Amino acid sequence: MANLLWLQGGACSGNTMSFLNAEEPSACDLVTDFGINVLWQPSLGLELGDDVKAILEKCISGEIQLDIFVFEGTVVNAPDGTGEWNRFCGRAMKEWVKELSAAAQFVVAIGDCATWGGIPATAPNPSESQGLQFLKREHGGALGASFTSKAGLPVINIPGCPAHPDWVTQILVAVATGRAGDLSLDEFQRPKTFFSSFTQTGCTRNMHFAYKVSATAFGQRKGCLFYDLGCRGPMTHSPCNRILWNRVSSKTRAGMPCLGCTEPEFPFFDLAPGTVFKTQTVMGVPKDLPAGVDKKGYVKLTAAAKGAAPAWAEEDIFVV
Amino acid sequence: MTQAATKDQETAEREAYIARYGVAPGEADHATLLRMIEDQMNEGLKTKVEPFPETDKEFAALLDELRPLSADQLREKLVISGWLLKPYGEEEMRCQECMYYLVHKRWCDLPELSLPAEPDWWCRLWRI
Repeated sequence: MANLLWLQGGACSGNTMSFLNAEEPSACDLVTDFGINVLWQPSLGLELGDDVKAILEKCISGEIQLDIFVFEGTVVNAPDGTGEWNRFCGRAMKEWVKELSAAAQFVVAIGDCATWGGIPATAPNPSESQGLQFLKREHGGALGASFTSKAGLPVINIPGCPAHPDWVTQILVAVATGRAGDLSLDEFQRPKTFFSSFTQTGCTRNMHFAYKVSATAFGQRKGCLFYDLGCRGPMTHSPCNRILWNRVSSKTRAGMPCLGCTEPEFPFFDLAPGTVFKTQTVMGVPKDLPAGVDKKGYVKLTAAAKGAAPAWAEEDIFVV
Repeated sequence: MTQAATKDQETAEREAYIARYGVAPGEADHATLLRMIEDQMNEGLKTKVEPFPETDKEFAALLDELRPLSADQLREKLVISGWLLKPYGEEEMRCQECMYYLVHKRWCDLPELSLPAEPDWWCRLWRI
């Protein structure tokens, strides 16, 4: 039996909604098959007011062993570092976060906001939001760069806007069943099992990427979304095209560019007008090239690919 | 120019195309459109090759200029896009490598242009 507590800070509840849609394993499977005891969760907990507060206090005092502390949303510090804009059970949420993190065996940040600040931390960041252990790419965050939970691990970051439900439940199962030692984390503390490959890995448009045929409108089945519509699939670490959404699709499969939501900079370019859904270029060459590709190589690759492109690459091959 | 004057000019251009080619650009087939482009360029049509849109904002501004044009306003499309019948610049940029270019169809797929093009041509909406 592993006790799990889930709280929300500066959040939209999107990750909770995602979590409740999990299938492999489902949220129910966590309880029935994997021995996770959900002490409290904002959308599932039955307790209200003082009863919730009592649970939190018992976790901090050790009366209840807190095995997994899950946090969704940003740690809000406004105004002036007090955190009073986000009060919960009679005090600033940031205080609860600090004390519960210190008491927990494992701390898991779910979604972009909890991992590195996400949309609320976009400049000018009026809520003075931070992620648990990062603010964008900067290591530190609300808990500090040196934080490790009782089990000796830093915060386990599962980013995404929202995080895919199965990334959440699979990591919770690994932790709850004593396999946390098997988790290998990358430099941003993301489990490598999910975040070593790219969104582009498994994308159905890879043929069009290879032959440099561009999609020029949303929902178009022909063409790659990287060249014109701002898709960040080749630069974003996520398994969105390996572990499909609702088991059937992904943004890029549906004709919607990847927004790069599992990377610390999300939302990119601080959402400046004209930067969303538009590939940013300098003198006609994309500013952000596929990971590991330099400008010279990109230009050579394009010339070769265009020269070798077969006629079918210019057609819509997904006939209904 | 007033809206009415613009409309008059558009109508006059359309009629001139019909008089010369028997069809307006909006209804012309691939070969005829290609001939219309080549003829105008070879007859000395000056297009706005410079400035090259260095940023996306500048690029978007050109698209905003092109978007209201009808399919018959071929000359305006060529002028605004800075059309050339040869590669451009030290790096010899050309349609062949542009991401909007469909090599087999010999067609510029940028919705705001949507015109036939030869691989060695170029315009300032070139992107790779």
